[in-house]
Amino acid sequence: MTTAVAGPARTADERTGQAGTAHRPRTPWAPYLFISPFYLLYVLFMLVPVAVSLWLSLTEWVGLGTPHWVGLRNYRLLATDISFHRALGNTGVFVLVAVFVVVPLALLIAQALNTRGLRARDLWRTAYFVPIVVSPILVALIFGLLFDRQFGLINSVLHALFGTGGADWLGDPTLAKVSISLVMLWRWTGYLTVFFLAGLQNVPRELYEAAALDGAGRLRTFTTVTLPALKPVTAFVVVTSFIGAAQIFDEPYLLTGGGPAESTLSVTMFIYRAAFQRQQFGYAAAAAVVLFVLVFGLSQLFNRLLGIGRTSS
Amino acid sequence: MMRTRVPLYSAIVLLLLVFMAPLLWALSGSFKPRGDIFGYPPKLIPDPFTLDNYQRLFSAQPFWRWFLMSTVVAGVATAVSVFVCALAGYGFAKFRFAGKRLLFGVMFSSLSIPFAVVLVPLFVILVKTGLGSPWFALIVPWVAPAFGIFMMQQYIVQSIPDSVLEAARIDGAGEFGIFRTIVLPLLRPSLGALAVWQFLQSYNSFLWPLVLVSDSSQYTLPLGLQTLFVSEQRQYDLVLAGAVLAVLPAVALFVVLRRQLLEGLSTGAVKG
Repeated sequence: MTTAVAGPARTADERTGQAGTAHRPRTPWAPYLFISPFYLLYVLFMLVPVAVSLWLSLTEWVGLGTPHWVGLRNYRLLATDISFHRALGNTGVFVLVAVFVVVPLALLIAQALNTRGLRARDLWRTAYFVPIVVSPILVALIFGLLFDRQFGLINSVLHALFGTGGADWLGDPTLAKVSISLVMLWRWTGYLTVFFLAGLQNVPRELYEAAALDGAGRLRTFTTVTLPALKPVTAFVVVTSFIGAAQIFDEPYLLTGGGPAESTLSVTMFIYRAAFQRQQFGYAAAAAVVLFVLVFGLSQLFNRLLGIGRTSS
Repeated sequence: MMRTRVPLYSAIVLLLLVFMAPLLWALSGSFKPRGDIFGYPPKLIPDPFTLDNYQRLFSAQPFWRWFLMSTVVAGVATAVSVFVCALAGYGFAKFRFAGKRLLFGVMFSSLSIPFAVVLVPLFVILVKTGLGSPWFALIVPWVAPAFGIFMMQQYIVQSIPDSVLEAARIDGAGEFGIFRTIVLPLLRPSLGALAVWQFLQSYNSFLWPLVLVSDSSQYTLPLGLQTLFVSEQRQYDLVLAGAVLAVLPAVALFVVLRRQLLEGLSTGAVKG
């Protein structure tokens, strides 16, 4: 997963409310020099490519010769391309799994790890985090072997326990999506847990004590104390997982190759396939622009809805 | 007061198994003969134990070359990006200047530009301008992650008092001199956190090398292992050994520097 963050975008001054303390330098160009390397790279490797993508998306190009202007034809083709619709749908499923399964589970685990007096907390959170550190190749290899229909450990265990277990985890269209989702769950949950745990440890203890004095039960404490305090972290985690899942590539590419019957084809895979396997660079660029509009637009919207509220204090 | 914690600890240990067992299974499998990898019930201790997978990997495949490629690329990218992020993070944290709000917003919103959007044009641009060499293209486009700038900015606001900088200025120090001699040393823990994270990102990246590198002598580890896996009759025993070996340094690096990394990663999100 590519790291991507989108919490509330505020500068240091705005957040601390100490605008007066930041330095107005004798050398007024100094701050610009400090930030200029980033913007140089940003323009060269982000803005220019996005602009080129927009232009390419209006052309037909096989990678050689001059791109041939076709106007909006690529977009019209995308609108009726069943593969692209599948890719959008599948990616939507992965996004929903990330946001509504992985994120809540991470919160639940963080809640458990935040129990007062828990022993070896560092061990647990470290161990849960390890899957995100592991190369996607090993992840794909392990799960490919585990999910194997004939010899895989999962079917062997199911067979031993329940006497059934011929499930074709990677070969059945529905199960393949489930399998990819399970891998996402395995890789990302512990990573997101770390953020929630840090957020929980930041909740002032007095708030919990006050809730206890008021006779609030566990659930009520959770909804009235924990959740509001976690709002900034949750915003961050939700947007991060959204962006991560929206561009998922490694897991489906390595595990299923997008199959069976494109049932795990993601948008990023669609783009990769169009450009680098079919030499339809214009078409790939158009799909990328659609992805850009969706992801950028939605994450700005999420930011506005979730994140902009200041840390409740 | 002492409510029983058995359910809590059982759940936590169960989770530990869920997250760790697949990795232990892979580690143990890499020391098993091919036929035993699929054995059921799975044996944690390989019996018979064999180094054959590793030996065949080393003798038949340029494993160490892939490893070198991955490590050098990730190392250089990490060093440069930590520096760039610290510079920009410092600029945003400790100065007021015209256009700051807009520039910060632009930087921050680049986080929600999916990589897939720049994948095709970036490839085209780099190849057409003759900059497609892995030594350039695997490194340079990735050395300015906005995530890192945000993280640095948060950390600098929290941990570097303005008074220190003021004092240095009164002593007549130049702006870059202050950054180099005062800010950078104070930033060491968070530089470590960002460095680990950047290194892992680059070391584990797959899609970009897959697109970019066509010459097999310049494969990175994930790419080399992937080609090995798809090319010759699914040699998963060899690939398993290679993948385990590839993952060990990453996990070791993470475990050693876990405290900085985990705290550093969550700083930005929590204090948001």
